[in-house]
Amino acid sequence: MNKLNIRKWFDDRLGIDEISAFMTKKEIPQHKHTIWYYTGSSILIFFVIQILTGILLAFYYKPTLELANESVAYIVNDVPLGWIIRSIHSWAATFMIALVFIHLLSIWITKAYRNPREMTWISGVLLLVISLAFGFTGYLLPWDELSLAATKVGTDIPRSIPIVGTWVTKLLRGGEDVTVETLSRFFTFHICVLPIFILMLLALHVYLIQKHGSSLPLDIEKKNIPVKSIPFWPNFIYREAIFWLFLLGLLLTIASLFPHHLGSPADLMAAAPEGVKPEWYFLFLFQTLKIFPAKILFIHGDTIAVLLICLMGVLFFCLPIIDNKPAEKKGKIITYAAYVFILYAVIMTVWSLL
Amino acid sequence: MKIKHSLFTRRRFLNSMIGGWITAMGTAFLAPIAKFVFPPNKEPDEVLLPKSDYENMEPNTVKLFSWGAKPGILKMNDDRSYTAFVAVCTHLDCNISYLPDQRKFFCACHDGWYDENGINIAGPPPTPLRQLNVAIDEEHFIITKDKGNE
Ligand code: FES
Repeated sequence: MNKLNIRKWFDDRLGIDEISAFMTKKEIPQHKHTIWYYTGSSILIFFVIQILTGILLAFYYKPTLELANESVAYIVNDVPLGWIIRSIHSWAATFMIALVFIHLLSIWITKAYRNPREMTWISGVLLLVISLAFGFTGYLLPWDELSLAATKVGTDIPRSIPIVGTWVTKLLRGGEDVTVETLSRFFTFHICVLPIFILMLLALHVYLIQKHGSSLPLDIEKKNIPVKSIPFWPNFIYREAIFWLFLLGLLLTIASLFPHHLGSPADLMAAAPEGVKPEWYFLFLFQTLKIFPAKILFIHGDTIAVLLICLMGVLFFCLPIIDNKPAEKKGKIITYAAYVFILYAVIMTVWSLL
Repeated sequence: MKIKHSLFTRRRFLNSMIGGWITAMGTAFLAPIAKFVFPPNKEPDEVLLPKSDYENMEPNTVKLFSWGAKPGILKMNDDRSYTAFVAVCTHLDCNISYLPDQRKFFCACHDGWYDENGINIAGPPPTPLRQLNVAIDEEHFIITKDKGNE
């Protein structure tokens, strides 16, 4: 069999030509907002890094009361290159979540979620939620003082939701309190439950992006001006690759210069240490909770804060459905809301660090 | 295919049978799963502490004990009586500590403060610390749930 035949054999069975025809035919429009298209694929790059480094870490990590912290220390101190693998895993999480935020905000501001792309947005918001859940569950696994205290606080927050709250807290913790049950549960979520969900949603998300193609900015679409576009393969991919390389370089530099710190082993009976803070992407929520007074009239301040945050979440989720007249005044206000949100998140985050 | 007097087609009937069956099966599986994921409640009704370990405390000092999976705090008051608390902040569940020189309980998570009787005085905590009953017999401190304060 010569080379051509082998190719044909596979093509007949897998339909490779159809896929590559699709890739070369796929066009990426070029305009002043094209830069935001790059964020999507970069998230994927970091996701792949997370899978790889996560699998490696799981080879040594042991989610038990005695060994969790010790096994992370072992990875960091004894396993060859363990320190950098762990550091990359935690830094890539930061990069990935930052990019997910940027990606969603850019779509909010450019209104790329317009009809018919509502479901793409909704699957995207769910992906954000899952990414945050990855971060939240992963934060506990090193089982040090800070991660224990932060998880106690984090898993207690749902309790202030009326009716279902206590159950959610119990479900997350595997009981009334944060114990070793919580650790096994978070580990299972982190390496099994969440990966299944993220892969399914990702498949849906990528499928929808292929189905609907890249969205054009509102003004261009309205005026119906023809836009220049370049083929996805290879032109666009090459440009994206430059961006990926840059980000990878940045990741490696930061990960090796600032390896993630490992605190002393968690003690379930010890008082919470000072400076309990969640990961940076939860800081604005953390600060929001903190500034709410203990009681507003006769209701717990936390209940109100949590319900408000949930309400915001639902609005965010339904954004493309609320923003159904993107070209009109309502649409403009919704775009401004994005800037207000950014400003709020930045101020709260800075404040929580002071 | 639709029989003359029938309200819906055979296909539709079969589809809804299958759909209904799948839904019923799914729900039937959900119930036991939901049961399984909530472990039994492990909070104790009573904890016995050996007297010898705790009786030599000084006034205005505390000692920790385990109240199930939570820390408990036994405090000797100025009149040498004892009070016990669940040493967990009523705000968002962080473990608290006692600062004898300030005569206050402190929660480091969001700067919550309680006075020496466990009453919330500053910061986000919405309610006082949970108090436990202390009784003493020959050999033990007997710590039990406070009825009115669960
Ligand atoms: S958990 Fe104690 S003040 Fe928030």
